[in-house]
Amino acid sequence: MSYPASQRRSLLQEARCQTCSLSSLCLPLALELEDMSQFDAIIRRRSPLKKGEPLFRQGDPFTSVYAVRSGSLKQVTSEGNGNDQLTNFFLPSELVGLDGIDEEHYPGTVIALETTTVCEIPFDRLDSLSEELPELRGQLYRSMSKELRDDRRMMRLLSRKTADQRLASFLITLSDRFRRRGYSPYSFRLSMSRADIGNYLGLAVETVSRILSRFQQQSVVAVSGREVNILDMQRLITLAEEEAQTITR
Amino acid sequence: MPVHATAALAHPTLAAAEATAWDDALIRRYDTSGPRYTSYPTALSFHDQFHADDMSQALERSNASQKPLSLYVHVPFCRKICFYCACNKIATKNTALAEPYLSRLDREMVLTSRHLDTQRPVQQLHWGGGTPTFLTLDQMSDLIDRLDARFGLSSAPDRDYAVEIDPREADVFTLRHLQSLGFNRLSLGVQDLNLRVQTAINRVQPRVLTETLMEEAHRLGFRSLNLDLIYGLPFQTQQSFADTLHQIIELNPARLSVFNYAHMPTRFAPQRRINAADLPSAEEKLAMLHTTIEMLTQAGYVHIGMDHFARPDDSLAQAQRNGTLQRNFQGYSSHAQCDLIGLGVSAISRVDDVYAQNPTQLAHYEAALDEGRLATVKGLRLNKDDLIRREVIERLMCDMAIDLDAIGQRWEIDAADYFATALERLHTAEQDGLVTRQGLYFQATPIGRLLIRHLAMAFDTHLECQGSQRYSKIV
Repeated sequence: MSYPASQRRSLLQEARCQTCSLSSLCLPLALELEDMSQFDAIIRRRSPLKKGEPLFRQGDPFTSVYAVRSGSLKQVTSEGNGNDQLTNFFLPSELVGLDGIDEEHYPGTVIALETTTVCEIPFDRLDSLSEELPELRGQLYRSMSKELRDDRRMMRLLSRKTADQRLASFLITLSDRFRRRGYSPYSFRLSMSRADIGNYLGLAVETVSRILSRFQQQSVVAVSGREVNILDMQRLITLAEEEAQTITR
Repeated sequence: MPVHATAALAHPTLAAAEATAWDDALIRRYDTSGPRYTSYPTALSFHDQFHADDMSQALERSNASQKPLSLYVHVPFCRKICFYCACNKIATKNTALAEPYLSRLDREMVLTSRHLDTQRPVQQLHWGGGTPTFLTLDQMSDLIDRLDARFGLSSAPDRDYAVEIDPREADVFTLRHLQSLGFNRLSLGVQDLNLRVQTAINRVQPRVLTETLMEEAHRLGFRSLNLDLIYGLPFQTQQSFADTLHQIIELNPARLSVFNYAHMPTRFAPQRRINAADLPSAEEKLAMLHTTIEMLTQAGYVHIGMDHFARPDDSLAQAQRNGTLQRNFQGYSSHAQCDLIGLGVSAISRVDDVYAQNPTQLAHYEAALDEGRLATVKGLRLNKDDLIRREVIERLMCDMAIDLDAIGQRWEIDAADYFATALERLHTAEQDGLVTRQGLYFQATPIGRLLIRHLAMAFDTHLECQGSQRYSKIV
């Protein structure tokens, strides 16, 4: 999908941190207004990515981190043997590319799941600016820490949890991410396919579909295509936390 | 009470000493053919004057007891034939073939559930084969939904929902899917870990496949995982089988079934692909059995009886200690006696006082259901004598002991008189050290435990008219 020139221009112009609705969640979160314009100056605006278009590919040299303004992306890591593992989803206000800092290349390909706009933040500029602006540095650390924490949680999810727990946790996490951006935590649209969700959660796509319909039968959620309505959040949380039956192998 | 099992738990050294009380000559003398007593009377006593109506009447009678239900579903398809196999199966790679079969199963469920009080809980579910994992994940979901719609499946934590897995045809995704369908117990077919043996039986299955599934099953909370092994396969030696056992003990399954391969190429076509000259000798097989019992006992397993071993903390061993072990078509079970409904081609039901069997030919099974009737082709209604003897044989097979006084009281018979012929037969067994006797209480010795079928045969009155060559050898 392409935008007419006028609309594209307005999308780019609108992309200023001072006016961006996500600034309270994004890197400039802690900055004073005058500092924010310094930060804004290092940002490169990019034209929207089309659905399926890669932001960068696995192994590309690391140059920038990206803040998602709208849309969503997935990170796919190939293991060389033809097995692609879906390793992350990125939603608006979230930072893409932090995992490329140390090895100076991106460890996975990041692909737009829908029409997506991102703000490119060249890392060398960000690095020097954060020396001047300790609040910015602090926010960068917090973002990285959060990503570490999320990864650990994902490891726990993948190493122990049953299919029901995995899917319930996934929906709760998504709901929480929408809530933090001021959207309804109960009603949202999945930009990813069932196959993507299965790949991310280590489940067969048949299992994902099966459990979604079971959750529907139990009136925990209502799913129509990619629209999700959480009908019973408390029950969903219980489903995510329920310990597997006592193990006596 | 099976006192020896308790002793084996409390004194592992004593158990090890018991296992060495081994007498080759004695075992060989008793190495005749005999039934496995997954039912009494055995399937050979079923007759063809038993019809679908007899089955539906039994289903209706059974509601009075309000016993829980146990459902067995036979999935006859296999992608590849293992040469040792004596099961009822169909070789195909086409999963679409399963669709019409699932429709027939559903019709059978509808016809069956009409006669049942479906408030009765489904405490046990078992998918066997063939290869249940031949089904696609969606077909498995479909089958579970149909079972649930017709009988109402349970989500109670004490349900026993088991499925047989071919590790070559399943991966961690399969296990996660099965878990989400409500299964909580698995049995994995291994048979042998030696590549030469695996090649000779047309079942090459690297150890890592089994190991990966066991780890995932553990993470997912599946319990009482069982591994199947077979001894007596081509190219096996005592040493090679000991090596397999050594690796299996490392994998530490909660349960182990170690079956004796019975080479009957005239009855089972796939076995004709096995060269009789490659089979281990009778001496070698006996040595393998000896090694098996010794190694597993050393490793802390309890010999439940027949081909079954379990860790002392497993529910099977616990049930045996509590005297609540049950025997059914799948071997032993820790769950209370249910009315068993067998669904699918060749499946056998045990309902109220009858056994009923479906045809072994897929075409016959399908034809019956297409005509809108249950597929029962054979069966038997047990008379009082059968019921009494069934109880004796079942307790003997499960407890490795039998209290005939208690049986006499329960059935209001003079046990010494009623079982006079059996007592006479047991006398020889007692002299040979297979069984000890105190009054009318008989207890199998460790050797007798191994030959328990032989002790049970003493009580079998159907045996004389059957001819023994249709049964496999005891050891």
